[in-house]
Amino acid sequence: MATGEKMEYRGQIHQLQKDMMVEWYQKLNESALTGKPPAVSLMISGNCIELLEAFDLLPLYPEVNALQLAIRRQSLEPILIAEEMGYATDNCAYVKADIGAMVKGITPAGGKLPVASLALCNFVGCNVYTKWFEHIAEFQKSPLFMLDVPFLRTDSPSKDDIAYVVRQLHDLVKELEKISGKKFDMDRFREAVRNSAKVEDLWSRIKHLSKKKPSPYDAYFDAISLMGPLYVYRANPRGVHFFEVALKEYEEMVARGQGPLEKEKYRVVLEGPPPYPFFRTFRDMFAKWGACAVASTYSTVGGLWEFGFRHDPAEPFEAIALHMIENNVTNRNYLQRYDQIRKYVDEWEADGLIIHFVKSCRLFSAGQGDMRDYFTKELGIPTLYLESDIEDPRYFSEAQIRNRMDAFFESLGHAPARTAAQLSAGRAGSGIPMVPVQSPKLRVLN
Amino acid sequence: MRYAAGVDVGSTQTKAVIMQDDGKERKMIATALVDTGANVQKAGGNGFAAACKEAGIAAEQVGYVVGTGYGRYKIQFGNTQMTEISCHARGAHFLFPNTRTVIDMGGQDSKAISIGPEGNVLDFVMNDKCAAGTGRFLGNAADVLAMSLDDMGPFSLKGKNPVKITTVCTVFVESDILSYLAQGKKAEDVLSGVNLAIARRTVSLARRVPVEPAITMTGGVSRNVGMVKALEEVLGMTLQISPLAHFAGAIGAAMYALEKVNDSSEAGAVEGAHAANRGN
Repeated sequence: MATGEKMEYRGQIHQLQKDMMVEWYQKLNESALTGKPPAVSLMISGNCIELLEAFDLLPLYPEVNALQLAIRRQSLEPILIAEEMGYATDNCAYVKADIGAMVKGITPAGGKLPVASLALCNFVGCNVYTKWFEHIAEFQKSPLFMLDVPFLRTDSPSKDDIAYVVRQLHDLVKELEKISGKKFDMDRFREAVRNSAKVEDLWSRIKHLSKKKPSPYDAYFDAISLMGPLYVYRANPRGVHFFEVALKEYEEMVARGQGPLEKEKYRVVLEGPPPYPFFRTFRDMFAKWGACAVASTYSTVGGLWEFGFRHDPAEPFEAIALHMIENNVTNRNYLQRYDQIRKYVDEWEADGLIIHFVKSCRLFSAGQGDMRDYFTKELGIPTLYLESDIEDPRYFSEAQIRNRMDAFFESLGHAPARTAAQLSAGRAGSGIPMVPVQSPKLRVLN
Repeated sequence: MRYAAGVDVGSTQTKAVIMQDDGKERKMIATALVDTGANVQKAGGNGFAAACKEAGIAAEQVGYVVGTGYGRYKIQFGNTQMTEISCHARGAHFLFPNTRTVIDMGGQDSKAISIGPEGNVLDFVMNDKCAAGTGRFLGNAADVLAMSLDDMGPFSLKGKNPVKITTVCTVFVESDILSYLAQGKKAEDVLSGVNLAIARRTVSLARRVPVEPAITMTGGVSRNVGMVKALEEVLGMTLQISPLAHFAGAIGAAMYALEKVNDSSEAGAVEGAHAANRGN
């Protein structure tokens, strides 16, 4: 296998991203040494970075620490430490890597990580995650704030659901006042929300640029690089600047007809997080076949903005509640995820779908077998199903995954006639019958 | 006269096939079977050499070689590599042109492939992270019963009351079998239970692709008559099995190789695979 370093163009934005993330880790180190600024542990899914920004608090994402350990191939040691402590083998590997690293003081980027002044569990859709934050609070002797965010059970959240979350956000503000020693400033909060709305607009435009042929960037692998600034700096003017630079760079690439690969041969949609311990190897498996991701659900875990949602500075608390309940992929129902993927395949004109099942994450992965059936049998979209793990290197069987990837792309290469037939038989786009997913019409019982 | 070869380096055995095209007809003129062993590269070379000898031609006369199987990237003399999924599909189509579904059971893989009228892959599923339901499962059962793989099939057909094998783990099946034998169950009933357990697992896998007739079975396990019977019972359909089923992967590889020899400008699948594999 060729080394991937020369297989795709990665652009200046990657360097800027790296610099900003290094700076974030430096700030975390400073916080660990001096206690300033105080750090708050929170979740990626529907993260409320705007509230932290309003108080100059530093976000600390245990998930980012876990994935950083994995991508640097340092995740197995903390996982084994957690297993020795009693965590089960099939427990979430993110949790194990983070807890093991916390207990032993292992950090992905060197330096130290601060003890959280508040463990803020802002996503309770996963029961294991709620336990994770309880354990963080227990091990670090940090106060715990559990935000009870209802799952999106209907097409859109009810007024009661929104009001329920907003009430809790007001309680959260009181906690943040205590740990920051600052009085809540509504103007600063609105400003943070305004920055987020700008970033979301830029990010959404970037997401739609991958409809171009070739796509100027890989909407899975490159999008993951952009997710760091999106979650850490979204509510800050530096986040706005970063995404202005990113949009400009990708627009210039579109103008030049340039993509990340020498030649874009296949356009695919990715479902599920990547196998971080083998990130490079996994990317090379796509690059080898000239396959570029044009959309991915994983890049919408922190927020789903490409279909129109923006934080509204006029109603900032309600905006945060809407983001948490409705506008991140993990809190949405499964049929909505089907619909999201179907739109990607259709509007972004993809040749196929690749599902990566995460062995240690039942929340994200349960139902993916059915998803595969829906896309292959109901919609006739070539779909590949792969199994490994987001964090635990022991579940990655390279020969097996490579074999499936090669076979999938060979089969796409064998079947040009089928695609052509679909094109003529189907709608004007990529040949997918426009059968809408039957969204559940559920009534909320009060 | 044009010659092409397919070499399938499997986990236990290496299969090689030579195809000939005289301008009128495509014909398989030689097959060879060698144990893979630890030296994968050597096994590929040995298989290819044995097939050339069988065909009565020199290796230099072979215009194109496609390697397949897990050891395919080690076949350095070959021109390109393709997955055994594509090759089994094409091989099954060569053996039975009416094939629409392929069930392949090999040493450590079970797979079901849905194929188009030209032998192209439409969809496939494989066992993941577990060797239960593969030839290895049968091998372990044979070891416990001190029986050869070739004897297992006919012997299991004698079983009238198959036991229920509750585990589908290739390692724990041994203790399950020993426990039944200790209870005084007949060996043929135990074996027929093993076959049914594997068949159920394989069929549930296969149903994830459309199982449409005609179904062709390939891979080493297709030689086991007991396993074939169990699969047919669970599926409720008959299986087409060629005496050359074991060679389906190598045959498919040789068919792709022959296309390459016949049409050097072909911009189809083989070229795609070749281009892609240059990165290896």
